[in-house]
Amino acid sequence: MSPVEDGSAYAVVDGLFRRESAHLVAALTRLLGPSHLALAEDVVHDALIGAMQAWRFGLPDDPKAWILRVAKNRAIDCLRRERRLEALDDTHLAGRSLEGAVELALSSEADAANQLAMMFAICDDALSPETHVTLILRFLCGLSPSEIARAFLVDVGTIDRRLHRGRTRLEQLGALHDASADEVRARQPSVEQALYLLFNEGYLGSDPENPLQPAMCADALRLVEVLLASNPLEHARVNALAALFCFDAARLPGRLDDTGVLTPLAEQDRAKWSRVLVDRGIVHLGESASGDLLTRWHLEAGIAFEHTRAQSFEETNWGKIVDYYDALLALTPGPVVALNRALALAELRGVDAGRAALALLDGHPKLTTYSFYWAALADLARRGGLLAEAKNMYARASALAKSRAERVSYERRILRLGE
Amino acid sequence: MPKFMYVFRGGGYATPDLLSPTEIQQHLAKWNAWTNELLAQGRLSGAQPLAHPPSGKTVRGRERIITDGPYAESKDLVSGTVIVVAASLEEAAELARGCPILELDGSVEVRPVIDTPNQA
Repeated sequence: MSPVEDGSAYAVVDGLFRRESAHLVAALTRLLGPSHLALAEDVVHDALIGAMQAWRFGLPDDPKAWILRVAKNRAIDCLRRERRLEALDDTHLAGRSLEGAVELALSSEADAANQLAMMFAICDDALSPETHVTLILRFLCGLSPSEIARAFLVDVGTIDRRLHRGRTRLEQLGALHDASADEVRARQPSVEQALYLLFNEGYLGSDPENPLQPAMCADALRLVEVLLASNPLEHARVNALAALFCFDAARLPGRLDDTGVLTPLAEQDRAKWSRVLVDRGIVHLGESASGDLLTRWHLEAGIAFEHTRAQSFEETNWGKIVDYYDALLALTPGPVVALNRALALAELRGVDAGRAALALLDGHPKLTTYSFYWAALADLARRGGLLAEAKNMYARASALAKSRAERVSYERRILRLGE
Repeated sequence: MPKFMYVFRGGGYATPDLLSPTEIQQHLAKWNAWTNELLAQGRLSGAQPLAHPPSGKTVRGRERIITDGPYAESKDLVSGTVIVVAASLEEAAELARGCPILELDGSVEVRPVIDTPNQA
């Protein structure tokens, strides 16, 4: 470290503390056992505070290695001082020295296995899907209870209760072992669902100030790719989910304009979409087709792929998208899927066909408070020349909008009606 | 120009539930911006961050008894010092008001450093 002398190197990689926290909490929980989860969190917190204190006047050459070394030493101290050696079972020691065992447990080679064990332990049937996501955000993404509360727009007390339930459940486990083939198969849907919720929260979340959280989408993508490292898993499903995340994440940079307002798909600057993520999605999509399995992830990934591959909104293959939505409706019926199908139908067969499909959803209790439903009605009314009706519907959408980014988008469309 | 020592106490000893990794990193970025500014102004002439969690020994009395650790309350624990150059004690104190430690309930003690003239 070079205190004071070097003023140029004052920047820590964005998200480093959060990522290292997630990596180390999973590793230490596995090493010390889930009953010592709180101890693992304390060790990591101390390492990060220690880094903050030490780096105030200059950064070390390798910040990541610094944090790892401090956490390792603290873990060894705890194990020695508090005689927690019995917590280390034979699988960890296996003839190694204490230092060697801790080093191996915290190494980047063990990272995927640690995070997998944590993910499968978290997605326990006894806990709700909301609790699964909360625990993933806490232990695998390094968010604090108040950050999670902000993202979900619920009070911190609710998050604390979910965390408490999760901790209690985790502490009952004797060890955070590699999930058995049966467990993996039984819990795979819950894990996928949790990651899907995590991704959606980043794609359009509840935080009124920051409805888009690209970091959360990136976490979901990172974890779904970690999931692919698990052998007993049904890989085709997970690849389909990974493809969906890639295609949607690729379009994130085009979703907000320069003033932070949500831009409708038809008006997005497609040059801003990430080619790298689209390509990564195509690889996953290819691998998702390795069997004859067709899940909702396959269909949703197919729809997202059609959007990303189209040169323009007009050139989109709407026929294929409507087919995917028909299959999706058969597999997972629901008003939101039906709403999106109606919009695709409007592009394929014309505004009237779209309006007729939307009319069938009239009065659906799940849609009356859903801003995108009113915006869809408004968009099609506008295109059908019914400007007064469009204005009314946009006003309802605007009143129900959860963020400024969304509300201003509708307000602008109202203004454009007068042009 | 006279020199002054800033003695930093407390700040950042919150429990994991109160301060997230992101918030810790953001706080560090504020420190780096602050010390960078002092450096750019040519005011920073030395810095001594201290280890966390606090460790160390204290030697006391004629018996020279060595005890473990600094036993202060966490808000009173010294977490580091720096030496700054300023025109006066008032100016040094004014500069210290920009210190990020104050955002986490920490404090900065500002003390004039005596120049030893025969150290040429």
